Amino acid sequence: MSATLNSDVTRKIATLARLKLTDEEVVRYSSQMSQVLGYIEQLKEVQVTGVEPMVQALPGCTHTRPDEAHPVERDAEGHLPTTKHAPSVLHDSFKVHGIL
Amino acid sequence: MDVHSDYQPVMGLEIHTQLATNSKIFCSCPARPSGSMTVAEVGANEYCCEVCAGHPGTLPVLNEQVVELAIRAGLALNCKINLDSVFSRKNYFYPDLPKGYQISQFDKPICSDGYVDITTSTGTKRIRVERIHVEEDAGKNLHFGEFSLVNLNRAGVPLIEIVSRPDIRSPEEASAYMKAVYDLVTAVKVCDGNLQEGNFRCDANVSVMKKGSDTYGTRAEIKNVNSFRFVEQAVTYEIERQIGVIESGGKVVLETRQYDSAKGVTVSLRSKEEAHDYRFFPEPDLLPLHLTEAQIERIKASLPELPHARKIRYESELGLSSYDASVLMENAQWVELFEGALKLAGQNGKSYAKTFTNFITGEISRIEKELGVSIAATALKTHHLVEVAEMLDQKLISASVAKQLVPEVCASGSSFKALAESKGLIQVNDQAALDKAIEQVLKQCPEQVLEFRAGKEKLLGFLVGQAMKAMQGKANPAMLQELLKSRLKQQ
Amino acid sequence: MRHLSIQELHQDYNNGVTTPSQVVEGYLGSIRKSHHNAYISVLEKRVREQAIRADLELKKTGKVPSDRLPLFGVPMAYKDLLTVKGERTTAASKMLENYIPPYTATCIARLEEAGALGLGKVNLDEFAMGGSNENSAFGPVDHPTHAGFTPGGSSGGSATAVGADLCHASLGSDTGGSIRLPAHFCGIVGFKPSYGRISRHGVIAFASSLDQVGPMTKSVYDAALLTEVMAGEDIKDSAMIAGQSPKFTQDLFKQGIDLRGVRVGVPKEYWGDGLDPDMSRVLRERLKQIKEAGATLVEVSLPHTKYSVSVYYLVAVSEASSNLSRMDGMRFGVRPAQADMASSLEEQYQISRSLFGSEVKRRILLGTFALSSGYYDAYYKRACQVRRLIAQDFDSVFTKCDVLVGAISATPAFKRTEKEQDPLKLYLNDILTIPANLAGLPALSLPVGTIRSEKLPIGLHVIAPRERDESLLQFAQSLETLFQNASQLGRK
Repeated sequence: MSATLNSDVTRKIATLARLKLTDEEVVRYSSQMSQVLGYIEQLKEVQVTGVEPMVQALPGCTHTRPDEAHPVERDAEGHLPTTKHAPSVLHDSFKVHGIL
Repeated sequence: MDVHSDYQPVMGLEIHTQLATNSKIFCSCPARPSGSMTVAEVGANEYCCEVCAGHPGTLPVLNEQVVELAIRAGLALNCKINLDSVFSRKNYFYPDLPKGYQISQFDKPICSDGYVDITTSTGTKRIRVERIHVEEDAGKNLHFGEFSLVNLNRAGVPLIEIVSRPDIRSPEEASAYMKAVYDLVTAVKVCDGNLQEGNFRCDANVSVMKKGSDTYGTRAEIKNVNSFRFVEQAVTYEIERQIGVIESGGKVVLETRQYDSAKGVTVSLRSKEEAHDYRFFPEPDLLPLHLTEAQIERIKASLPELPHARKIRYESELGLSSYDASVLMENAQWVELFEGALKLAGQNGKSYAKTFTNFITGEISRIEKELGVSIAATALKTHHLVEVAEMLDQKLISASVAKQLVPEVCASGSSFKALAESKGLIQVNDQAALDKAIEQVLKQCPEQVLEFRAGKEKLLGFLVGQAMKAMQGKANPAMLQELLKSRLKQQ
Repeated sequence: MRHLSIQELHQDYNNGVTTPSQVVEGYLGSIRKSHHNAYISVLEKRVREQAIRADLELKKTGKVPSDRLPLFGVPMAYKDLLTVKGERTTAASKMLENYIPPYTATCIARLEEAGALGLGKVNLDEFAMGGSNENSAFGPVDHPTHAGFTPGGSSGGSATAVGADLCHASLGSDTGGSIRLPAHFCGIVGFKPSYGRISRHGVIAFASSLDQVGPMTKSVYDAALLTEVMAGEDIKDSAMIAGQSPKFTQDLFKQGIDLRGVRVGVPKEYWGDGLDPDMSRVLRERLKQIKEAGATLVEVSLPHTKYSVSVYYLVAVSEASSNLSRMDGMRFGVRPAQADMASSLEEQYQISRSLFGSEVKRRILLGTFALSSGYYDAYYKRACQVRRLIAQDFDSVFTKCDVLVGAISATPAFKRTEKEQDPLKLYLNDILTIPANLAGLPALSLPVGTIRSEKLPIGLHVIAPRERDESLLQFAQSLETLFQNASQLGRK
């Protein structure tokens, strides 16, 4: 389980997370996270065989809602709530960089 | 030598079908346009709220109809319905994926271990369904080179993904499987089956291996094929392409491809090798989904008769052969006609079943091809089918006469009986009348009778023909022949 | 302090001593003068309109309609992690500096439907990630009464606003101690209800399976009343406690100061040698008083406590890394000008997401790592397994006692620093608060005194079994009364 975060791994993770790190940040974060991961090593000593992972703090099951469609309302000026304050809108669509 | 015969294609299909719900899977935005509007006519982001746009602080709430329809689909595909299933997050960045993750089901899907039986030119075959899971659709990107426009109307629309095992071995099987699944999900009203709007589409995983080998080849995935014809064409091309690559010493690359129907080729999209690390983990905002046996029983009881149950009934209760039953069931209208005739015929229904089937797969099939229309567009209806079966049963007309009358029945809707009578085609089964005609022929053709009795067996046909002439062609041919034969044996 | 409880405030309204608008103006004035940097946005226009409506309502009968509007005229501050429709909600991040939500969080909607007045949005650690409110893009928050000290975090602004009389009560959120730690540092009541008690619709998510909204108040009664108003099923949140929520104020004073029959668990891990000795001494005095009031003290152990930080910094950060993926500058929030000039889609994402602060970036990286292929089993999955063991520790302990008491943290409030601290050191401050989040239990920090010549406040940690919020509040009320009777609490 032992993993220190070297710069390569940190860069790879940053790419996965779409975070751009400066060289300085790569070094600093690698070191800080390695420290945390070093501390986390203590989990290795716990006996977990047969222990069901706990993902929720609640027992029980999900509730559902009835299949009713509620249209989205435009405001007084005719804006749609989700495009009104969006950073870049063209033809009521969200404008983003070209996708290859 | 055909190089293809050295190779065995191995394929699996992942079919995505939109569920026929009013609202999206995790929010109350409309999942489809109301009235007669098409999806394309809805303005961009009209069907988009803070939840499906992934705003901070929003949470998913499951649509109850999604559960109902997923169970229906699972039952139609003979799956085990899992009483406990879990939602998962599939994490990746793409502009049409507002939350930066898709809520899907990873290790505990709602249905598993089903199958679909298909019929192709090589016979019937069972394709296993590995799993069915519920997930949300992504939005739509429109590309304009330097920029793209994102429309989230479709984001959050409920889908089921039906994953087959790699049991498909030919392009024909691929298309037959896709069609069979389509027929099933539309029959149980899980999907509205609108292929044009992409409500039913598949990804085909294709690989080839040398016959006799036990190692599967590397596969390529052809994404978003939305017609049965295209899937057959796409995999045909892909199989050849892969064989070509291998034969020329290359290696098939694990990648995503797209089918270009205009050019008839598959084109590489991106290398699947740089596969996303989806970092699946259980969705914390949704507690597990729990179903009860009672719920599943209720849904089972509400389903229309499904193909496999129907086939069993046709074979065991009605005595149809497996092949005949399959052919009949390929056509929904034929099934409707057949079921209608069975009902109308009442007690006799069962005994007429084979006759109905033969008539449908024979005469009706033929006239459809000739006229270029389906039988529903003609005047031939359920009661005609019952009538002709009765008349054949009572030997009032022969099969060839029935065949003769079909076009006119289709055109005019007149009854077989009325037509046969007006044309004087009603068969005579009266033994006395036949005997009389036979006596007449024996008198009129003494030489042929002597020659027959002396051993010239061929003359029987001639004598039967003469007797039929004497009966003005109306005699029951089989009966006539039998009676003549036995009469000739006597002196 | 103006009013210790909502009851007192309503009394003043009823007696014509003051009006909602007057109270609001008083607070707005204090906020303007304060140097604490507790508020990110003051909702002047909105709250004045609310106050005027409340004035008119009061004029009708001269009496507070407390049956219909139990929170009538109560000026509140909301952690800026909670959405208010049409008003900027920033999560103390540059990412959301201009974010205007199109909807209001259920918890706030319920408070305001019950008559609460929203003074504004208070400061926090960015995206609730931090323990000292030094990670905000809007500057650090100062301790309410002790300048230069941190108020704790991440609900630092919420705690300071209450402690420095800049609102009557506030809403915070608690994922690993973010209500209880600041409450302890600042000498106020901070309550984290059971997970699933209050809707998370409108709570900007940090760790979905741990986050809980809760009240930060001057009295246990207020905390109980606020919880009562907010709690209960919400169709918009699928992970909630099913069924009707109890009326938490109903039997609040029932136990009183006679604690006979109450079994109070004393977990040794919450009373260890590492605790600040002055703090430990005061807490032990309180424990003695609890015993003298008739309670049975039961020594117990929660052996997996020492793993809580490790579990949290895998589970919470994993969920967070995923929850924050939606912050991409495409549909809401800030998109930096350079993002529009990015040379690729990847770069556009990266430039937009460069607006996160360092702590947030660190946690996203850690979380992404813990979930990634090859590491999932050893990190995320294993952490979830140990989480279950921590929850089971509590289950077994609660067969022997009704409630647990101990320290919130090893130290009282500490001095703010200019330089970036060692993350791990800060994380370890949460070792005693995290377990209640992991197990979904209700937990509260009750101010029980001050220490040293500086009179630094300290709080007592009270934890009850899952869904026993009612019992916990009742017990906390008993202690509040008991300690008030016995000695000065050191509140102004």
